[in-house]
Amino acid sequence: MSKITVAGVRAHVKELLDYSNNEKKRNFLETVELQIGLKNYDPNRDKRFSGTVKLPQIPRPNMSICILGDQHDIDRAKHHEYEFMSVEDLKKLNKNKKLIKKLAHKYDAFIASDNLIRQIPRLLGPGLSKAGKFPTPVTHAEDLAQKVVDVKSTIKFQLKKVLCLGVAVGNVGMTEDQLIGNIMLAINYLVSLLKKGWQNVGSLTIKASMSPPKRLY
Amino acid sequence: MSSTKRKSDDNESDTKRKRAGLQKVHSLPMLQNLIRRDPASYRDEFLRQHGHYESQRAIFLAQPTSPNTDSFAELVGFMAQVANCYPDLTATFPEDLAQLLLQNHSVLHPELREKIVTSLVLLRNKDVISSVALLQTLFAVLTATQSKQLRGQIYKTVISDLRSANAKTKNHKLNKTVQAVLFDFVESGKEDPTARAGMWAVKLTRELWKRGVWSDARTVEIIKEAALSANPKVVSGAVRFFLGVDQEREEAEDESSGDEGPDLDKIKHQVLINKKKRSNKKIERAMSQLKRKEKSKNKPSALNFSALHLLHDPQGFADALFAKHLSRSNNKLTFEQKLLVLQLTSRLVGLHKLHVLQLYSYLLKYLTPRQRDVTHILICAAQASHDLVPPDVLEPIVRKIADEFVSEGVAGEVATAGLNAIREICVRAPLAISAPLLQDLTEYKGSKDKGVMMAARSLITLYREIAPEMLQRKDRGKIASMEMKETGGGGLRYGEERTGQIEGLELLAKWKEEQKAAKRAAMGLPSDAEDEEEEEDDEEAWNNWEVEEDSDDDETGWINVESDGEIEISDSEDEDDKPKNRKQKPSKEEKTDEEKEQHEENKEIKAQLQGVDDELSRLTDLATTKILTPADFAKIEELRAQAGLAKLLGRSNRNEDAVDEAVLTGGVKRGKSDKEARLAAVAEGREGREKYGSSRGQKLKEKAHSTTNKEKERKKNFLMTLGKAKKGQKRKLVEVRRGLKDHADRQKGKRRRK
Repeated sequence: MSKITVAGVRAHVKELLDYSNNEKKRNFLETVELQIGLKNYDPNRDKRFSGTVKLPQIPRPNMSICILGDQHDIDRAKHHEYEFMSVEDLKKLNKNKKLIKKLAHKYDAFIASDNLIRQIPRLLGPGLSKAGKFPTPVTHAEDLAQKVVDVKSTIKFQLKKVLCLGVAVGNVGMTEDQLIGNIMLAINYLVSLLKKGWQNVGSLTIKASMSPPKRLY
Repeated sequence: MSSTKRKSDDNESDTKRKRAGLQKVHSLPMLQNLIRRDPASYRDEFLRQHGHYESQRAIFLAQPTSPNTDSFAELVGFMAQVANCYPDLTATFPEDLAQLLLQNHSVLHPELREKIVTSLVLLRNKDVISSVALLQTLFAVLTATQSKQLRGQIYKTVISDLRSANAKTKNHKLNKTVQAVLFDFVESGKEDPTARAGMWAVKLTRELWKRGVWSDARTVEIIKEAALSANPKVVSGAVRFFLGVDQEREEAEDESSGDEGPDLDKIKHQVLINKKKRSNKKIERAMSQLKRKEKSKNKPSALNFSALHLLHDPQGFADALFAKHLSRSNNKLTFEQKLLVLQLTSRLVGLHKLHVLQLYSYLLKYLTPRQRDVTHILICAAQASHDLVPPDVLEPIVRKIADEFVSEGVAGEVATAGLNAIREICVRAPLAISAPLLQDLTEYKGSKDKGVMMAARSLITLYREIAPEMLQRKDRGKIASMEMKETGGGGLRYGEERTGQIEGLELLAKWKEEQKAAKRAAMGLPSDAEDEEEEEDDEEAWNNWEVEEDSDDDETGWINVESDGEIEISDSEDEDDKPKNRKQKPSKEEKTDEEKEQHEENKEIKAQLQGVDDELSRLTDLATTKILTPADFAKIEELRAQAGLAKLLGRSNRNEDAVDEAVLTGGVKRGKSDKEARLAAVAEGREGREKYGSSRGQKLKEKAHSTTNKEKERKKNFLMTLGKAKKGQKRKLVEVRRGLKDHADRQKGKRRRK
């Protein structure tokens, strides 16, 4: 395909939402994923790219987040009813690799108090960063709820060992405009990351968890 | 015994053969040739030779050390050549050969051994045996044999066989089996420091990786296993693989793509001259080769992930490397080998952002200017730092470098290396340095030593970009301090990942707005009317994007005229433009238009009220409602270049790079320290210049000429000149008389004679 238009994206999103919401409604909130295939990209010569971007809407509201905090942050977490762990809890893991791996699997993201985060590598070892879930810092001055929203709405593009990647950009519970906004921002940002821009993009596909894929580009 | 028997056989069958119209066979090569042409008719002959071979083999097996093996070797060669003609008769032949080689390789005569190996390869080439069978035999011999020659032969055979097997498409099955064998080699020698098999595994893998035959994760796993072996040689081979092999691969690729194919014009010309030869074939071959080359050029490049990226569990590997080879109890490795392992470990840590916290305290020990190869240690320190290393671990390193390398007492080069190393660490982990220390170090910007001065300045430039608040006020510079004022100087925080944005998007938004306004002004429309032609523009931008990408130049001319005002803004405003100002400027240009002015005023108030939030939402609006076309991206690049914003730091992940030694030494020329260096410099200066001498002499040299008087004088025999020299001391009588006379005249008061 030679080009991608807003109208085209809109049509595909409409079809996708229609399929997932009316035609075959599932018993869970389906996530919409953007799948990207790259071309003309030599990972050995060109730099591997990675970047994070904040989307206007939270793509996965059900993301589970754990607060690793000092007393003040734990109180705040309790107030907002987030899950949390204190330093003592972390010390109890005793650097046990299995337990830490379990912890990393249990949550989708972590937020840690600013004064605690420097100790995280010592307390937990490499487990969290290995899972790509190193905590985000939060200070006492910042609004915890806002931070959680920020973390939830941030997506990360990172090239691994293959020339394709996928990111969650939304869910089928969102309105058409919201979803389109997220998709467009993600696409625009991704293309801005690539060295040769659109020339590096082989394909763009959107797909809900249980829907057939729709090719955008 | 056997030869006599053969003769009598020959005599008996002579008459028969004549009747059948068959030729008499004098030698094995001849028979071989005949059999190839017509296997069925020469079956009897072959059977005889086969029996002969069997008996020879029995004799040989009874006495494998006997030196007289020529006839047997010849028979083996013959059998291998024709084995594919009689598959039923020679079913056990390959197996026999393999057994022979396996059991007796240590006592066999070298020539016979070589013959057996080449015969096996021949059987493989004729598809009598499979690659797997061949390689299994060869690998078994490779590890067992003592002979260097045989190992070399086997090595070459294995490489070429695997290459040809993977030439068209990857032969995954074969690769998998061979890799499994090599993995076993490494695995078996893991605890035994004397085991050598691992060496061959590393050597073979390296060669195959270099040639692009193997490039998958399983290959890397073999080497990873080898890097953790107990044999120091295997370890250093494996570590070198990780550090250098990707570069090698690239070079090999460049070479292969660099060599030109046959010169078609030349061949055509040759054909014209030399009409008798098989000319057409030559041209065809050349043509097809060229065509193939063209095709491969257009093919997308293969997926070349570097070996370091393909590692399955980098954290585990780095931990194991450190624990096995670098911990204090282990002294098996020499310093050089340890340095290699250290480099690999640090590279892994930086590349995958690992946590190996003991590494930093280990490095601390070696960070003194007197340490051998200290630049490499500094490189390791820089490579091992990334933004997820806790700053309290890196801070001692930076402090130690500052204390040991950067002080008044040390030489300029040392201070340069130290400062550059600190900069490299800070590029990767900006929090590794404390503000007071940074401010101390930046004081060296006034150093008399050029290298030191440049290194200190580069440190300042770095922090202007990433954390200007850590610098002294005077060092921040205009741009950075203005940016600080706007953002409030949030500063860096550990573990924070800055969310990216489409860089230059605000410039594009502004540019589009201006374009729109200009268009509307031209059409006489109010500025906030929706325009329909946007979609059309989009179409255009997509349609000719290929063209635009190539022809940026003609576009720039057009833009420069249009966006004069904008350049002004970006110069005064710098990186982050305030929304307020941005909206003011266009209004100045269009004061005549009353409507516009009013509108701008409204906007201004709005902007003041809503401030930055409004700006942000407007930006995201552009990115969320439109798909940026290639033309848009080209425009962004251009606008950013105009605004001087080509900031690369945010985009590149520096932690993935290796540090070059030249970066640390600063690339500044060192003074000529000793006499040898000075003389070398002199000799270098003399190179290529003509010898000094008179211009007349040089002129004379150019053409043939008779001897000049000067040359004659110079070449005259010394003894002949002696008399004249003596004579010259006396004055002639006439002169003496004249002198006396003059004197007398002067006495009389006459003037001096002229």
